[in-house]
Amino acid sequence: MSILSDFLFETRIAASSLADYVTGTGLRLGVTGLSRAGKTVFITALVQNLLRASTAAKDGERALPVFRVHAEGRLMRAKLQPQPDDHVPRFAYEDHLAALTGGANVDERHWPESTRRISELRLTLEFERRKGLRQGPSVLTIDIVDYPGEWLLDLPLLTKSYAQWSRETLEASAAAARAPFAADWRGATLAVAATAPESEAEAKRLAELFTAYLRAARADAYALSTLPPGRFLMPGELEGSPALTFAPLHVEDDTAFASGSLAAMMERRYEAYKAHVVKPFFRDHFARLDRQIVLVDALSALNSGPAAVRDLETALSEILVAFRAGRSGFLSTIFRPKIDHILFAATKADHLHHTSHDRLENILRLLTARAIARAEDVGAHVDVVALAAVRATREAKVKQGRLLGEKSELDAIVGVPLPGERIDGETFDGKGEVAIFPGELPADPKAVFRGDGLGVPEGAADYRFVRFRPPAPRLAKDGEPLPLPSIRLDRALEFLLGDRLQ
Amino acid sequence: MSGDERQRPRAFRLDDDRIVLADGETPTHESIRKGGVMVETTPDAFAPQDEPAEPRDAEEATEIAQARGMRARALFSWGGLLWSALGGLVSMALGLWATRIVEDLFARSAALGWIGVGLATAVVISLLALALREMRAIFRQRHIATLHASLARARDEDDRDAARAGAAELLSLYANRPDTARARALVKDLTREIVDGRDLIDIAERNLMAPLDAEANREIASAAKRVSMVTAISPRALVDVLFVAGQAIRLLRRIAEIYGGRPGLLGFVRLARSVGAHLAITGGMAIGDSLVQQVVGHGIAARLSAKLGEGVLNGMLTTRIGLSAMAVCRPMPFAALKQPGVKDVAPFLFGDGKERRDIS
Repeated sequence: MSILSDFLFETRIAASSLADYVTGTGLRLGVTGLSRAGKTVFITALVQNLLRASTAAKDGERALPVFRVHAEGRLMRAKLQPQPDDHVPRFAYEDHLAALTGGANVDERHWPESTRRISELRLTLEFERRKGLRQGPSVLTIDIVDYPGEWLLDLPLLTKSYAQWSRETLEASAAAARAPFAADWRGATLAVAATAPESEAEAKRLAELFTAYLRAARADAYALSTLPPGRFLMPGELEGSPALTFAPLHVEDDTAFASGSLAAMMERRYEAYKAHVVKPFFRDHFARLDRQIVLVDALSALNSGPAAVRDLETALSEILVAFRAGRSGFLSTIFRPKIDHILFAATKADHLHHTSHDRLENILRLLTARAIARAEDVGAHVDVVALAAVRATREAKVKQGRLLGEKSELDAIVGVPLPGERIDGETFDGKGEVAIFPGELPADPKAVFRGDGLGVPEGAADYRFVRFRPPAPRLAKDGEPLPLPSIRLDRALEFLLGDRLQ
Repeated sequence: MSGDERQRPRAFRLDDDRIVLADGETPTHESIRKGGVMVETTPDAFAPQDEPAEPRDAEEATEIAQARGMRARALFSWGGLLWSALGGLVSMALGLWATRIVEDLFARSAALGWIGVGLATAVVISLLALALREMRAIFRQRHIATLHASLARARDEDDRDAARAGAAELLSLYANRPDTARARALVKDLTREIVDGRDLIDIAERNLMAPLDAEANREIASAAKRVSMVTAISPRALVDVLFVAGQAIRLLRRIAEIYGGRPGLLGFVRLARSVGAHLAITGGMAIGDSLVQQVVGHGIAARLSAKLGEGVLNGMLTTRIGLSAMAVCRPMPFAALKQPGVKDVAPFLFGDGKERRDIS
């Protein structure tokens, strides 16, 4: 049965990619990232930069210098197209941009709300092709998908049985780092026998406790990442449905559950969750990507402590197994697209001085080492970059006489911290500019994995990355904002799209 | 920030009274000494750098020129078809002719026949060997041109991995040149350490390329000298033309050899095409020189004697050819080092130094 369903699944993927190929030479860009990695901001900034780059060039602004097609003046125009899939909402680009720039009132600017549902956007680039048989005017269509990062956590579940998932979840919750906030739910679960008769009330109670535990673990102070199933955190339109009313139980591997038992009911729902939630999501949005950027918010995990960093590593390597990387050939382009360029990006690089970016990249390289090795094995191009899709800070040197000795200088960043952010014993109000020295990342990237700390308080950490308000937009002559300032967004674009825009 | 003790995270409110914003003008040492803090805005590391437009144009010209000749890889062209068809016919005719001769020889005596077969085999083998060498030369040439492009790109993007790969290829290109041993060792050491992509390429250029550049410059200068001299004293125009052409060919081969891509016959044609394209593109740009200088240089000499004027002009032409060859043969772009102009390589053509004293 499962072979048949796998076969059907594959066939559907092949069919939809064939349809894609026939309808046009597009490119599906996968923007992958756990929740709060900055997917929405990245997509908004990417689209805004592409849409506004040529206008800015006319005003004498030099945006995206490394993005060749633009730097060489071959990018004629970028425009948004009607969304191709009628059953998926459109990415609310205008709303997100208005949030970032404040729309009519600059003081209202804020980061976009966290994504609650899936959305899609189609962008076409009109450019002059320089090489190959088809020189001259050409068009590249780019499809970008935005979705709640929590849902990504479900992909590893596709290969796990209910019993295996239960065991792993229970084991993870027993770790020292998670024990404090997992206690309630663990206690309740261990008290319930798997063979107990099925009961909706019991299932609901366990699911609620389980959800509460996942929510607590995700809170800012802890910033844990490995928390499947993702729909428990961000249910979307499924809230309250049976597919979301289950929880792990203390069960043995490889046993058949008696029908009518609580475990059997849970297992059925778990399988339903996989079949009706995870698989369609994977099939519709991930199985046919051409390019992928994996956004990783390493800074939050670093803020929290080594346990959170290790957790992030686990989450990333589990998720990235689900993707199909490899070199694309002609046939595979038609029937089974593979991701041939993968970019790992440490987002929010503007939260630290550019002299530390190398260290941040090294940490990310280590975090994703397994995924990188696997992708390189099958011939995909892989790169790692420290990136800020929207740059909220500028850089400065702080010179201080008495405390640091005559010659000491600190490489600091200057920006407006979000209200409520704390550093150095100060709490900010989100009004004035502050120069912040966030501390130094260790030269040896392995150092960030050592130790057990989780939710390390501000006073004890060697570094602390503060979040900033979005930058005040600069307006072009036509009254629209200029391309938002960014760090290495052009390099990311060049890596992801450059070879298709030659 | 000394030793193991790391600096704790700190925050400095800019609206605080004790904090001085330095705007470049007044270094407020006083306030720092009193325990105040100065915040100095640093130049933006990510701002697009306003590099002078010319190097980029020059680099672009070089890459276009390389693409037209050395890297050309046209699958089909009418010219190509013509030449291959013609070549096919000619080789068939030659084959027929050889078979006939061998048959005739066998008809006279078996011994003569076998000698004929042996000679024919020797011809075929040597042809194959030559063709193989030709192909290797062409591949090498293309490799150098590709390396040029990838290094230029790696430098533009400050891409560490690409820069390392490029540096490794550079090293293997010059691995059998004893005179580059020290420079190679230095670059190799640096590849292992963490150096930014752009810096690594610049270091490689300064160390590996500088001696080669100097040698190429010398070659160009001596060729230019010879050409202008011979033109000035030669009795007939035809001699000038032949001599200039011969010197240009020799110079091209020599420069390609210096940079590691010694061309064969076909390779030379490709190289010449690239150099021609480069000359055509940079013609208006005048590599590092203004047209005025050329006219002035010509003018002073021409006033002395028409023949001398021609000599200077031909010398200049040779220099230009040499510089173009240098640009397209070099395995990396001119970035850390300045691309030499006609005046740098052959100052004697502009009536500098001795010549000027002669004139006055």
